[in-house]
Amino acid sequence: MEEKIGVICRKFASFAFINTAGVIIISMRASPLVFILRYFLVISLIAATTAFLFFVLRGALNTPLVALLFLLPVGLTTALWGLGPGIVSAVSAFLSFNYFFIQPYYTFQVRHTSDVFVLLVFLFVAVVISQLVGRAQAGLAAATAREREATQLYELSTALAGLQDDEAIARAIAEQIQVVSQAEYIEIEIYALPTLKVDLPINTSAPEQKPEFVIALQSARGQLGEIRIWRIGNSVSQAEKRLLQTFASQGALALEHAQLAQVESRAKLLEDSDQLKSAILSSVSHELRTPLATIKASISSLRSGEVNWESSARTDLLAAVDDETDRLNILVGNLLDMSRIEAGALKPQRQWNLLAEIIDGVLARMQHLTEQHRIETDVPDDLPLLPVDYVQMEQVFTNLISNSVKYAPLGSLIRISVRVRDEEAVLVKVSNQGPQVPPEHIERIFDKFYRVTAADRVTGTGLGLSICKGIIQAHGGEIWAENLPDGFAFNFTLPRSWDGAPPPQLPVDPETT
Amino acid sequence: MTNQPHILVIDDEPQILRALRTILSEKGFEVTVANRGEEGLALAAANPPDIIILDLGLPDMDGIEVCARLREWTQTPIIVLSVRDTERDKVAALDKGADDYLTKPFGIEELLARVRVALRHSTRARGAQTSLVKAGPLTIDLAWHHVTRSGEDVKLTATEFKLLAYLAANRGRVLTHKSILIHVWDPADADHTEYLRVYMRQLRKKLEADPNHPQYILTEPGIGYRFLADEDTE
Repeated sequence: MEEKIGVICRKFASFAFINTAGVIIISMRASPLVFILRYFLVISLIAATTAFLFFVLRGALNTPLVALLFLLPVGLTTALWGLGPGIVSAVSAFLSFNYFFIQPYYTFQVRHTSDVFVLLVFLFVAVVISQLVGRAQAGLAAATAREREATQLYELSTALAGLQDDEAIARAIAEQIQVVSQAEYIEIEIYALPTLKVDLPINTSAPEQKPEFVIALQSARGQLGEIRIWRIGNSVSQAEKRLLQTFASQGALALEHAQLAQVESRAKLLEDSDQLKSAILSSVSHELRTPLATIKASISSLRSGEVNWESSARTDLLAAVDDETDRLNILVGNLLDMSRIEAGALKPQRQWNLLAEIIDGVLARMQHLTEQHRIETDVPDDLPLLPVDYVQMEQVFTNLISNSVKYAPLGSLIRISVRVRDEEAVLVKVSNQGPQVPPEHIERIFDKFYRVTAADRVTGTGLGLSICKGIIQAHGGEIWAENLPDGFAFNFTLPRSWDGAPPPQLPVDPETT
Repeated sequence: MTNQPHILVIDDEPQILRALRTILSEKGFEVTVANRGEEGLALAAANPPDIIILDLGLPDMDGIEVCARLREWTQTPIIVLSVRDTERDKVAALDKGADDYLTKPFGIEELLARVRVALRHSTRARGAQTSLVKAGPLTIDLAWHHVTRSGEDVKLTATEFKLLAYLAANRGRVLTHKSILIHVWDPADADHTEYLRVYMRQLRKKLEADPNHPQYILTEPGIGYRFLADEDTE
């Protein structure tokens, strides 16, 4: 008979062992202390039940009823803590029942055949109860775990959404892993950025020992990096590993996506600069060919002998050739200036100059261009000397005036005025009665090749104003445009001092005749 | 030797040489051309020209150096040709002894005018000096320190007259800021272009009909000034 029970016990033990996989899922969630405490409570509960039945109700109950009452703590523990504690309580209840309530008492031996039967039924029922309740518990726990995983994954993907920066992505992954795993230390290395290492907590150095867990950030195109997790004590469960792997693959996806986005934006940039280059080329070749076409047509007709040598047509053609070569020359000069500005080689050769002399010189040279407009200058006689590059300032005025001439209606007024703004600077205004510029264009008209109107309607390279901007900025001034009630104006400032020095004093001039 | 003035053109651009040779020959000059600096120096020594037209961008040596080496032994007028935007080079060449400059592309009338001025100046330097310079309504008596405008006396300060006299003595030629400052003020004042800006404005107010649109005292942007007398505008 003893042998029989031994067999039953062995069978029971192997049955419990088979179920360990399920047990671990649950138990691993708890810390070791809680784990031990739980089994201690199970044993205590069975002991308490035994004591109650033994001292209070002994004699009042028959054996099957005792067996039924022993099922209560078994069901309770299983419901509370799952299959493992349930099985343990079932076994201990069985042993206790046998020891205290089955004759002969205080032995594990069984005298009556009917008691063997009761014991077997008890064991069967207890195990079945703990199985059923435990499975339900395990299923619930697994469902809760899955839900938590899903929530964590959702949080990770929310945190990663829209991130384009590798470091931000790595930081988001590290933070989410920290929440999930309660790790002491997390380090993420991304191979593409050797200098980038995201650490959590920040500003502490990695522990000296090896990390407990290392996950590769694996993308379809190879390993992008590595996550290292340090967690003292608890080992990492299968479920956690699975979750961390999912996190890592989400992170790798985000990194890959960010890298693709970067590649795409680089490609876009190249495409844009290509478009700019072709815009420059088409603008420049158009501007170069137009005067060349005039020159070629004029010269070939003069050479053909079809134009009367004495006619006014001949004079006109020659004048056209002359004008167009000047235009070509200005165009080449503009391109040269622009390339100097772009190369940062436009250093003003400053000297103390009179703005009036510069403006007068420009107007004298532009006489033929401005003769269909009225020009008015307003420069105070006592305007102080300014530290500017004479030739560059000539260029600024030339470009602003020729721009005004181009857009303002014939016969309208173009006005150049200079005022001392304050101790720091003088303010120059070149205004015209031309059309206003829509506000959305007004900031951009100083960009190179920027045009408010279609390119083929107005001649020019689209460089003049950007050259002005480059020169004024090199002088330490500012340039801007504004719409006037009856027209349009360019404004710019020029600093009055040169490296902090005021205009020099002139030597005394002895009077004589 | 013929009576035709002899011009040596030193430039490495075949098209420019072709055009200048054709045009200048047509205008009655004897023209010699050189492609390189060394060749130009050798030709100038072998057959001294009346005028040298010199491009600053030469393949073998800097035009400024050619200028300096010519000035070691000859005062033959040199007219410098250069592309735009090289004011520093132009000023350097002028300070090294070049007489005038022209920016490429240039009009042929301009070149011929400069050639005439240079020839007259070298003739003046060798021959008798006239002390009277006429420019429109202006008469400047360099000997008597006397200036009239439409017959009326113009009062000038000492510095103003010194400045005007230097310009008038070199009428038609471009004078760099530095050379004016050294001659009229002092070598120590060679960088004080602001003196020129102020004094030129004063002079223009006293001499020009419209000081804002000067006819006689012309600004050469980035280089210096030029006085235009009647003989140069003929």
